[in-house]
Amino acid sequence: MAAASLSTRSAMLLSALARSGSLCSPSGSRALHVTAVCCKNHAARVRVGKGDKPVTYDQALPPHYIGHRKGWLSQHTSNLKGEGGAAERTIEDVFIRRFMFGTFHGCLANEIVIKRRGNLLTVCALMLQRLPPMKFYFLIGYTETLLSHLYKCPVKLEIQTLQHKTVYKYL
Amino acid sequence: MAAPMALRRELFSIGRVLSRVSHLGPRALGACSPHIKCYKIRSLLPLAPSTSFHTATVLPSTPSPITVTEEPDALFQRVSVLVKGHDRAVLDSYEIFATMAANELGITQNKVYEPPKDMERLTLLKSIHIFKDHRVQYEMRTHYRCIELSYITGCTAQVYLEYIQRNLPEGVAMEVTKTAMEKVPDHIKEPMWEEQPVDDKPSQ
Repeated sequence: MAAASLSTRSAMLLSALARSGSLCSPSGSRALHVTAVCCKNHAARVRVGKGDKPVTYDQALPPHYIGHRKGWLSQHTSNLKGEGGAAERTIEDVFIRRFMFGTFHGCLANEIVIKRRGNLLTVCALMLQRLPPMKFYFLIGYTETLLSHLYKCPVKLEIQTLQHKTVYKYL
Repeated sequence: MAAPMALRRELFSIGRVLSRVSHLGPRALGACSPHIKCYKIRSLLPLAPSTSFHTATVLPSTPSPITVTEEPDALFQRVSVLVKGHDRAVLDSYEIFATMAANELGITQNKVYEPPKDMERLTLLKSIHIFKDHRVQYEMRTHYRCIELSYITGCTAQVYLEYIQRNLPEGVAMEVTKTAMEKVPDHIKEPMWEEQPVDDKPSQ
């Protein structure tokens, strides 16, 4: 609301200046540049802070580097030209990410990579060594069985474990 | 269908874990009392900086038997394989793989080229409420690669395409266009006026 009134006031100012400018100086013209509240881009970006926040490579790079310095977290063919099923794949991806986050609580080191090849759904994840291996094996088998029953397709989990999160830089 | 395979995989993984634990067992048992065995084993295991779990098993597939039929094989004048993907590097490596496979099988390649990419752009409002002047633009790039094979038989085409398709990387789609060659039918081979010159026209 305040922004809208500001923009109308700025528009009136601009028009007034333009009229006065055309009368007095035909060669050059000065104008007032005012914008409404300029929304900064916040999508998928970690804001720079004091330098104590550890950030992984994936989190540090903003989304305009996808395809240049970043890879894709979810690989399927439905976003290509002439292919369908994009909405269903996106919903499946969101569900799988939340499910993995909840099942392996506090153990995920990085974002989950989901790959689809034919009927097969492969979920690749990096985990921290916070649970004993027996519990890990049980959770992996449980996840695979449950997801394959839910989505009626073979689901495979490829897990790699690390001791600590890999930090790219501190922001 | 997924349930028995998943159970089998679980049994395999449990079996492997048991075998690993049992081969470490005698060493650990000698070192400590049985009721704190599990913790001792855990500290004896060298905590590797990165370990992967052995869960991915190869699903066994029976190869299809070779059949011999009397009917003649289909002949294709041209088989064009168009691959689409978001990543150009992936398509580059896939092209190297497909051309290598074709050379090994002795298939002649007409041409391998790259059609121009398609960009699908969306312009959306940046904010959830008002601020119509501030928009955000997204684009989805689709890169193409086309491999054309010429003068190929049906069996060779089937084998080659199955091999290529089994090794399609994720995030890459394929479209195959086949142009078949058929024998010219007998009744239009010879022009009609040369066959029956003796017919007397009744109107005469």
